[in-house]
Amino acid sequence: MRYQQYLAWSVLLRLFHWSFALSVVVLVTTGFYINFPWTNTMLEGGRSFPVATMFYIHFIAAFVFTAAILARLYLLLFGNRQERFWDFLPITPKNIANLFKTIANYLYISDKYDRRPGHNTLAGTFYIVTFIMALVQVLSGFYMLYPENVVWQTWGLWLLGPLQHARYLHYLIMWYFILFAFIHLYIVVWTDIWHKEGLISSIVNGRKFTPDKS
Amino acid sequence: MSRHDFGNEGNMRVDRRTFIKGCTMAAAALGLSETMVPKLVAAATSAQRPPVVWLHFQECTGCTESLLRASHPDIGRLILDIISLDYHETVMAAAGHQAEQVLQETISKYDGKFICVVEGGIPTKDGGIYCKIGGRTAVDILAEVAPKAAAVIAIGTCASFGGIQAAKPNPTGAVGVRDLVKNTPIINIPGCPPNPISFLGTVLHYLTFKRLPRTDQLGRPLFAYGREIHDQCERRAHFDEGRFVEQFGDEAHRQGFCLYKVGCKGPGTFSNCPAVRFNGVGAWPVGVGHGCIGCTEPEFWDTMTPFYERLPGVTIPGGGKGIVTGATSVGMKILGVTAAAVGIHAAVGIGKRVVKCKKCNNTPDEQE
Ligand code: HEM
Ligand code: SF4
Repeated sequence: MRYQQYLAWSVLLRLFHWSFALSVVVLVTTGFYINFPWTNTMLEGGRSFPVATMFYIHFIAAFVFTAAILARLYLLLFGNRQERFWDFLPITPKNIANLFKTIANYLYISDKYDRRPGHNTLAGTFYIVTFIMALVQVLSGFYMLYPENVVWQTWGLWLLGPLQHARYLHYLIMWYFILFAFIHLYIVVWTDIWHKEGLISSIVNGRKFTPDKS
Repeated sequence: MSRHDFGNEGNMRVDRRTFIKGCTMAAAALGLSETMVPKLVAAATSAQRPPVVWLHFQECTGCTESLLRASHPDIGRLILDIISLDYHETVMAAAGHQAEQVLQETISKYDGKFICVVEGGIPTKDGGIYCKIGGRTAVDILAEVAPKAAAVIAIGTCASFGGIQAAKPNPTGAVGVRDLVKNTPIINIPGCPPNPISFLGTVLHYLTFKRLPRTDQLGRPLFAYGREIHDQCERRAHFDEGRFVEQFGDEAHRQGFCLYKVGCKGPGTFSNCPAVRFNGVGAWPVGVGHGCIGCTEPEFWDTMTPFYERLPGVTIPGGGKGIVTGATSVGMKILGVTAAAVGIHAAVGIGKRVVKCKKCNNTPDEQE
């Protein structure tokens, strides 16, 4: 079978993807450490600041993460066809049908793969959920980082309640990201094996493949 | 116990030295320069002492107790010197109808001029019947007194945010003053109990500048609640350098290391405890080896517990009450279940491929 190549993902989307992915790895690693600083020492005067350093790395990654989220927000509204949110949310009859077809395909119920130029709507729905989780993570994170700032304090108190509540939520949502990363990796590899569209390489070079109908 | 409790009952007023010392401490807590001290003293000794009505609702009287027990200088007595405490159920001599009469007289005579101090939460459920004084509900009393006051000072976490009565499941529907009083300025001095200096500072600020101090979004004066405990803690160096107490009584605990891992809520709690300390003896919880429990924050009984763990547990519903386990263990379990599901899915896929590819040499996609 012959395949046609097309540009699915813009440079900005690919940049978003990898800065997001890398920052999440760093944030989860340092987040675990912040939650439970396991390097305990009795040594004094060592002039090493493991906990302060871990926080510092967490905050740097947090800013990368936030920048990535803002880039994605822009693309959700003004990106190319595949990148806009109405392309991959189950909000039109066609998209809703795609949701069920995709689930059936993933569960080996049907061999039919409802091919789409961008995300299928099952993936798309989860990407939006993840996007919202990321927003909560940014809000709770900045609320904890700048608790004395009037803006963060006002929004934080209004949306998340007292700081400790934000911290608790921040920790629980970390587990969402771990689960998401795990499932995401599995499905991506699975899809790459079962459906020949060059899914994994597309997030590196931007190009996907579709069967050449002509 | 205060040293003034012995020997000089005859002299209820504090001496001038103690008086100035108290005003200086309040000035320091307020972040004012020492040149302001004479102004504070002048305001505090002016002829018209502001009348104060002190209302007790759902509470343990711990706030009043800690205020009266404060020593070096005798802040309790100092406050009683500065204000004219016309109605206070714990320390007033009058009782019964006489006391009720005093309250009525004060609020009508000083309409719009007196300060109303509230101690304790206010139950609102079932018509507020869970707290009644002289046959009237706390809701009614507050609704009558607060609108006539120049300002309301909510002392303690209960009056500020509802406190322990408002902890889940909040059977009496307890709330703080700010949830009921809308048109009178309110200042919250939360804490369980709050530091008497924070209360004194607020009163002196009001007397000197004729307005309440600036507050954060929770109505707490910034001079006392403007910074996190964690950012002023003397154990912070141990935190940054990774020296932690793992268990109460261990070597690290004896060395005075950071209490983060045994549940210190200093990160996330706003108060001046590390700077001002308590009871005139320079003590505060973390200083004596116990983590902060976050008592100045709203909902602290719900969000800061368990006190000896970093984060609250997760309640898994079902089986009547449900089980509470640590957030980490819940996360691990969900991840484990997911991994198992993924494993099964992958195995089915491999099985299917083996079957399919015996019939044909194509991958499924190419049959589309
Ligand atoms: C996927 C993204 C993120 C993950 C998985 C993550 C994870 C975590 C975890 C697990 C903690 C420890 C919670 C605890 O036990 O106290 C933490 C703490 C923290 N995070 Fe994040 N985080 C993320 C994003 C962010 C962002 C965007 C910010 C923004 C500035 C941020 C700021 C903070 C701060 C300030 C703390 C310290 C809390 C404290 O004072 O104890 N985080 N993070
Ligand atoms: S003892 Fe508590 S407040 Fe002090 S540094 Fe450690 S965590 Fe922070």
